[in-house]
Amino acid sequence: MPALTSDPSRVPGYDLAAPTEATALAALQRVFGVDRGRESWAAACLSAGLVVGFIRSPDSLQRATSALSAQGGAAATVARSITIRMRTHARLLAKSGATTTGAVR
Amino acid sequence: MTPNTPTPALDPIYDVARLAEIVELGLLSGAADPILADVARRAATELKLPVSLVSVVLDEALHVAASHGIHGMWLEEAGGHPIEWSFCATSVRTREAFVVENAQTHPAHHDNPLVTQDGVRCYAGVPLISSRGFVLGNLCVVGMEQREFTRAEMDVLHALATEAVARIEAGRRDATLS
Repeated sequence: MPALTSDPSRVPGYDLAAPTEATALAALQRVFGVDRGRESWAAACLSAGLVVGFIRSPDSLQRATSALSAQGGAAATVARSITIRMRTHARLLAKSGATTTGAVR
Repeated sequence: MTPNTPTPALDPIYDVARLAEIVELGLLSGAADPILADVARRAATELKLPVSLVSVVLDEALHVAASHGIHGMWLEEAGGHPIEWSFCATSVRTREAFVVENAQTHPAHHDNPLVTQDGVRCYAGVPLISSRGFVLGNLCVVGMEQREFTRAEMDVLHALATEAVARIEAGRRDATLS
């Protein structure tokens, strides 16, 4: 039986949370450092027509991630990682039968 | 430091040069490569296991570049999985083969959701090392029952991994020529 969880957005049994703007920025900063990571994320948001700090839906996060991918190089790998984590979360959540509001914190 | 030179002082998982190498080799192109898929199929067949992957270890996720035996599974639909569940990431750090004969008792993987939820029981992977010295990911096989891996089987995996790297490097040459 899947483990119970108090957070409905976490996938039962997998303890996997959906990516957020905060986790995306943190991933970029692990690879590029704090300043360059922040700059890269700001450029991606600008390119996607989004405002940094106000990405609150999976659709917006995916748009920012697509713009990040277009930067090429290592930024594209970070973008792919975010996409894979979003897809994994969505597929496993659907498989578990759980529901979520789609909010991205 | 010249571009695309390994930086040993860093955790290789997050090495910018390694990650850039993955993109330069076209491993995120998304195009299915029948030759890499055939390498995966042969690995699974030779070792008599249901699943084989040509994996690419990114910063926060494992990307499946080619596969055998995952059709219809969530892993295929997602195109990979979070890196914290990855058996293959170990080889990026050690640059050596990684074998798990019984995942349920393995100290690093007994509570891995791929084990507790998806039933993975055994794993063997060998690193895919580019000509520039970066570990890109692994050629691995996965099974749902615990088992041992012989030296001969690991030799087969190493030989197939060499084939996979040759195919991947051909992608770099093709990109350079075009």
